[in-house]
Amino acid sequence: MLAGGASAHWLRSRRTRRGPGGLPLGLLALSVVAALVVALPVGVTIEQALEGGTAAIAHSLDAASPRTLLLHSVLVAAVATPLAGLLGLSAAWFIERTRLPARRLWTLLAVAPLTMPLFVTSYAWATLGTLLQGFLGAAGIIAFSYYPIVFLLAAGALRGMDPALEESARSLGLNTRRTFFRVILPQLRPALLGGMLMVVLDTLVEFDAFVALKYQTFTVHIYAQYELSFSASGAAALSMFSIVLCVLLLFAESRLRGGANYTRVSHGVRRPVTRYRLGRATLPVLAGFVAGAVISVGIPVGTLVYWFTQSSSAGLSGAAANVHFLGPATVTSVLLGVAGALLALAFALPISLLVVRHSGRMATLLERSTYLSFALPDLVAAISLAYVASHYAPGLYESVVLLVLAEAMLFVPFAVVAMRATLGQIEPALEDSARSLGLGPLRTFARVTAPLARPGMAAAGVLVFAFVLGDLGTAQVLLPPNLYTLGTEFQANSSTVAFAAAAPFAAVLVGLSMAAAAVLMNRFGRVRGLEAG
Amino acid sequence: MAELVCEGVAKSYRGREVLGDVDLDVPTGTLTAILGASGSGKTTLLRVIMGFVEADAGRVTVGGETVAEAGRVHLAADKRAIGYVAQEGALFPHLSAGENVGFGLGRSERRQGARIVQALELVGLDASYAPRPSHELSGGEQRRVALARALAPRPRIVLLDEPFSGLDAGLRAETREAVLHALGEEQATAVLVTHDQAEALSMGHEVAVLRGGRLAQRAAPSELYRTPVDTDVARFVGEANIAAGEASGGRVRCALGRLKIVNGGVEGPVEVLIRPEQIELSASADAGGDGAHGREDGSGHDHAVRARVTEHVYYGADTVLRLTLEDRSHTVVKARVSGQEAPAPGEAVQLVVRGPVVVFPAQMSRTEST
Repeated sequence: MLAGGASAHWLRSRRTRRGPGGLPLGLLALSVVAALVVALPVGVTIEQALEGGTAAIAHSLDAASPRTLLLHSVLVAAVATPLAGLLGLSAAWFIERTRLPARRLWTLLAVAPLTMPLFVTSYAWATLGTLLQGFLGAAGIIAFSYYPIVFLLAAGALRGMDPALEESARSLGLNTRRTFFRVILPQLRPALLGGMLMVVLDTLVEFDAFVALKYQTFTVHIYAQYELSFSASGAAALSMFSIVLCVLLLFAESRLRGGANYTRVSHGVRRPVTRYRLGRATLPVLAGFVAGAVISVGIPVGTLVYWFTQSSSAGLSGAAANVHFLGPATVTSVLLGVAGALLALAFALPISLLVVRHSGRMATLLERSTYLSFALPDLVAAISLAYVASHYAPGLYESVVLLVLAEAMLFVPFAVVAMRATLGQIEPALEDSARSLGLGPLRTFARVTAPLARPGMAAAGVLVFAFVLGDLGTAQVLLPPNLYTLGTEFQANSSTVAFAAAAPFAAVLVGLSMAAAAVLMNRFGRVRGLEAG
Repeated sequence: MAELVCEGVAKSYRGREVLGDVDLDVPTGTLTAILGASGSGKTTLLRVIMGFVEADAGRVTVGGETVAEAGRVHLAADKRAIGYVAQEGALFPHLSAGENVGFGLGRSERRQGARIVQALELVGLDASYAPRPSHELSGGEQRRVALARALAPRPRIVLLDEPFSGLDAGLRAETREAVLHALGEEQATAVLVTHDQAEALSMGHEVAVLRGGRLAQRAAPSELYRTPVDTDVARFVGEANIAAGEASGGRVRCALGRLKIVNGGVEGPVEVLIRPEQIELSASADAGGDGAHGREDGSGHDHAVRARVTEHVYYGADTVLRLTLEDRSHTVVKARVSGQEAPAPGEAVQLVVRGPVVVFPAQMSRTEST
């Protein structure tokens, strides 16, 4: 037909290059680079540990205490993770599927704990007295700070679920409860498992919160060993166990998940779901939400307010002395957060596109290898990066670039999860149509995928931004000597008795984290133009 | 000349053959319907032509240019100049109807807007639709805009993937007409993929039946309907009575009488295809004797057969009757008669088969008569 000049621009004979398994080579190459960069500290740590000899690795567990501490780590993860799953799942179900009053408020409060810096929250818990210290506090703070991950993923999956499935189950004679367990829960399984995997991995390498709450774990032991001997190889030898644990958990999760991939949104009818009336259950459920909010958000915010009211005499003068650090610290933190977020997005984008559009073993392997950023305590990862930089890129050593890189690498898995939640909802037929209209892969991304995924990509960035704000371990090692952040200033001041001096820094951190939570609640996993609200 | 040619296209997934040795050519300016049940490989074939899937073997040429040759050439989908209308339209939800239509145009043409309006008019929508958000369009309008979007950049071929699925009967017919009109105006070469035989027969200049990943038959609609290659294709493209018979000398003897054969040269045991509308009824003259009795008529179809109406399904314009022959075989046949004159269940009738019939040698047919 009309093969005239109008269509001539199509006919330049450019071929798509394809790699193994028919994967687009460019995307695959970018993903492999991203995965390798993220896994770099693990590689370096393994090398350092092996340099010390396998005997040294075995010996590092000789004493009774490291073994006990390893058990502590596993115990706290074993208790906190299911609790976080339960909290996240129930919050998601009540908010998305019932006529709970003030749902927007509860959504915000269910997201906020994630963006709140853990070192602020744990410090607040610690000041409440000895009840919240030790195992109870450690498990509690992890469960109540990380349940929002499960909440965000489960809420997204619930929103995307085809109401017809539930209606069919009801028509087959299942009541609400059985429908939940036989139809809804199985579909939430990937979201639930994926969220809980991040919680358990994060718990195993958590440091700040456990130190504040005086709970000794394996990671705390690694830090102590490092400070004691100042030898990277000792810390590296111990870290081998956390690497092994991480890899085992990754395998376990993939076995548990089985063939089921993350919930694919049905593109059929997008009818609004019918929400259940809570009836007499309204008050108990509301009481549950209030309790959850008090524990996770109320305690840190309340403590902060208390610090301000207590800022009398000695404290006030301390605060006044510090207040001129507030501006520069805020600027540094925000800039670090933005740069870290952008870099993490750049790493996460090819991998999430690969997973969503070319699912298969290769894609899953690359995606899961980013989870190796959970395998090391922040301190060890930062040290290994500093080591690499000092040996191979001296220009980067003690530079902001290295810090930004380290922060980005740390939070790539979160960025991947957030992006995937969005990209998975974009119908492949939309991209196919764009290709059929003569757009190459890059222009298709720029004109179709990116505009549609914009809210979700923004959410992914904001999530990483909040995590960078809440990071202390990496900053303490890699922050150039002349710089300070909100986190390091909070840390420096909170170690003195005058809480008031730390309060302004905590206040800015909490304010920024609430703003981040507000963005997350409206944009996480969302696609433009597909659904309202 | 054939605008689109597929030669020996094959594709397997994990050792399971989805397409095997498919040859297809689509003459310039015509519409070929690919008809197949779900799982027949029709969507895979379409995606191979589009360039979304790489075939394991075979070659695809468009306008004489090889766009795909297994292991050697794979032109990216965006370089093939093949328009594509996805199931349910796949309009970009972040763009208005007009922006969707202009999506594949160059920047200047997009800004100028004339081609957008022209493409909208082509599918029977006026310029006032352009600013409307795509989610505010009805199902039928979405399909039209999707076609306008595919046609706007003047592609060499347009592929339509079940473009009317999910539309109700009235809207389906209306949208179908609009699509045929638009394709005709643009003199477009088109391939329509469908599982709906009525859609394939009414829209295609040619219909290709795909079965188990292989091309079972390709023919003009009337030829396909009248002379299918086997009983499966016969049943797939329309309702069919299949009766056992014995062929000799250009005629076949079966429960419905001694009938003239279209495809001569077949001898021995056969299966006979008789379309329900080939059966004509008259009220039974209550004569004695069982089964067939002779009555030569000019058509060469010689027997009136006695039967009783056992079921009666009214469709408005016509009625489908289920009849049991009053002979020893008690064969059940379906007849399609005018809606007004249909006899009631229980009534005795006489049947005559009009027009010659197709026979298939008995061993090549797969299933028993219906």
